[in-house]
Amino acid sequence: MNLGLLVYSLDIVVFIGIFAIVALSLNLEYGFTGLGNFGKVAFFLAGAYTYAIVMERTGIPFYLALIIAMLVSAGIGFLVSLPALRLREDYLAIVTLAIGEVLRLVVKTEDSLAHGVWGINVPPAIHWSGMSVLEMRMVNIGLVYFCLILCFILVQLMTRSPYGRVLRAIREDEVAAEALGKNRVKYKAQIFMLGSALAGLGGGLYAQYMQYINPYMFMPMVTFTVWIMVIVGGPANNRGVLIGAVLVTLFERGARIIKDYLLLPIDPINLQYILFGVLVIFLLAYRPQGLLKERQLETKAIEGVQQWKNRSSE
Amino acid sequence: MGVNWAQVLFNSAVTGSLYLIGAVGLTLSYGLSGFPNFAYAEFMTLGAYMGYFVVRQLGFDIYFAFIAAFLACGILGALAYRGVFRFLANRGANKIHLMIGSIALGFIIRHIIGDIWGWPPTTFGIIWPGFDIGPLRVTDLWLALIFTALFLAVIMHLLLTRTTTGKAIRGISSNPELALASGINIERVTLLTWAGGAALAGVAGLFWGAIASISPLLGWAMILPVFAVTILGGIGSFYGVLAAAFIIGLAENIGVVALTQLGLSTEYRMAIAFIILIVTLILRPQGLAKAFRRT
Repeated sequence: MNLGLLVYSLDIVVFIGIFAIVALSLNLEYGFTGLGNFGKVAFFLAGAYTYAIVMERTGIPFYLALIIAMLVSAGIGFLVSLPALRLREDYLAIVTLAIGEVLRLVVKTEDSLAHGVWGINVPPAIHWSGMSVLEMRMVNIGLVYFCLILCFILVQLMTRSPYGRVLRAIREDEVAAEALGKNRVKYKAQIFMLGSALAGLGGGLYAQYMQYINPYMFMPMVTFTVWIMVIVGGPANNRGVLIGAVLVTLFERGARIIKDYLLLPIDPINLQYILFGVLVIFLLAYRPQGLLKERQLETKAIEGVQQWKNRSSE
Repeated sequence: MGVNWAQVLFNSAVTGSLYLIGAVGLTLSYGLSGFPNFAYAEFMTLGAYMGYFVVRQLGFDIYFAFIAAFLACGILGALAYRGVFRFLANRGANKIHLMIGSIALGFIIRHIIGDIWGWPPTTFGIIWPGFDIGPLRVTDLWLALIFTALFLAVIMHLLLTRTTTGKAIRGISSNPELALASGINIERVTLLTWAGGAALAGVAGLFWGAIASISPLLGWAMILPVFAVTILGGIGSFYGVLAAAFIIGLAENIGVVALTQLGLSTEYRMAIAFIILIVTLILRPQGLAKAFRRT
């Protein structure tokens, strides 16, 4: 395997890791809690820009900058959730979609914040002199996958805990959950903040890896891409969402490679988004549960029911 | 610096007219089907590109472009409803599924347009000479836009109050079960509303393309004010939208004056619609609709 190809494939591996974190955060919001966040890119952008600005202006270590990026994203998530969470789900969709546009507008217009359309340079988190591209990629893979594993364990533990069962209850029937004394707005706001924080982490890692960001990297396509990952993989199944992130990223890269090598009557990048759109509509119609179905809850009560059912069938 | 307030009011009427034509179809189909159709942005884009096709590529007059945009977007709206949304709804899709489906459809249309006509912004290549009426500087296009909006308002009022279809739209919007029980053909009325609404969106897109420039992202850039108008007006309410379009038009134009005076970028014009959207959701999520008892 030649070096260029290896470096390129490692680039794909890093991207899969970053987007897997964002897809997990959307899975927490949409898959488990039923919140339709159509402005995922806003929180991704908030994380990326916070990280970039903090790293440019202060000399603090990168992990602190990542934590600040997560906090800022979570704060924006909290503010966004205030007006919309009490209302029907379509209002949340409109508000989140709008915040994505507005945040991009702000970073594009305010030159003093992050150099507007010229973009902002971001120093690499871990760097030594004479570092090769290959070493750089390896370091990033370590950093990104460390964060991904932490996020995965966190989301997995949360959604399998009693807390996660409340989330599913809210998703299935808000009124019933409320009747059991669960404050649905509180739970939704917490999940929305946590989801935004994780998306912000993804954004921070993205800025760190790209070493340069500009407003045009945060178009609504990012949101759509993350949604496809969740829908393809399987909403409310964290493993499925990871598979979704892998498949969608590979497909995206495939389209870019094809663009260079194959002469089609249609631009492969356009074709890719057209196919994504068709795929989403067909998945929603024929397999809304995605590749991997949501797993049944594992609780003592369900075990008991299972045993009782087995006994009665004998 | 003196501000020509007459001009600001006139510009507000222009903006408001554009938003009115753009948002009528969205609010009515939202009211009937119960979910926001985000692909609506692309109906506007297609309208603008039909203008480009007729004026620049076929070399016809812009009047034919309006007919082309109206028809093409109307057909697209009907196809979108029949081919995507009714299909998904019949297979048991919930509201979030329908919204994702609409975003997916939007991506399909946007990238098809991008592939046919290319991504760089372009124009119709028509110059609309300005002339003065009193203190106002106007163009034929702006006047045409305002007259179209007035005409539309009158027609919609007559349609919603005098015709069976119009009454059916209001009926379904306020109580679908009762409407069905009363023997209203929900299917036919919804299809008509989607087609008619999309056709109007196409006209709005064409106007916007003629005023500024066109790109495959044209519709997406207009989606924020159009949704702000829909929410402020109250979902499904025509009279609400009528008022909201001009309120937001006025707010944006006064806002632009204020932004200039404050030394801020006029790019924030879009943020004004966003602020109105948020304030409406906090203070009065049902919108202005209750103020208009008719709908």
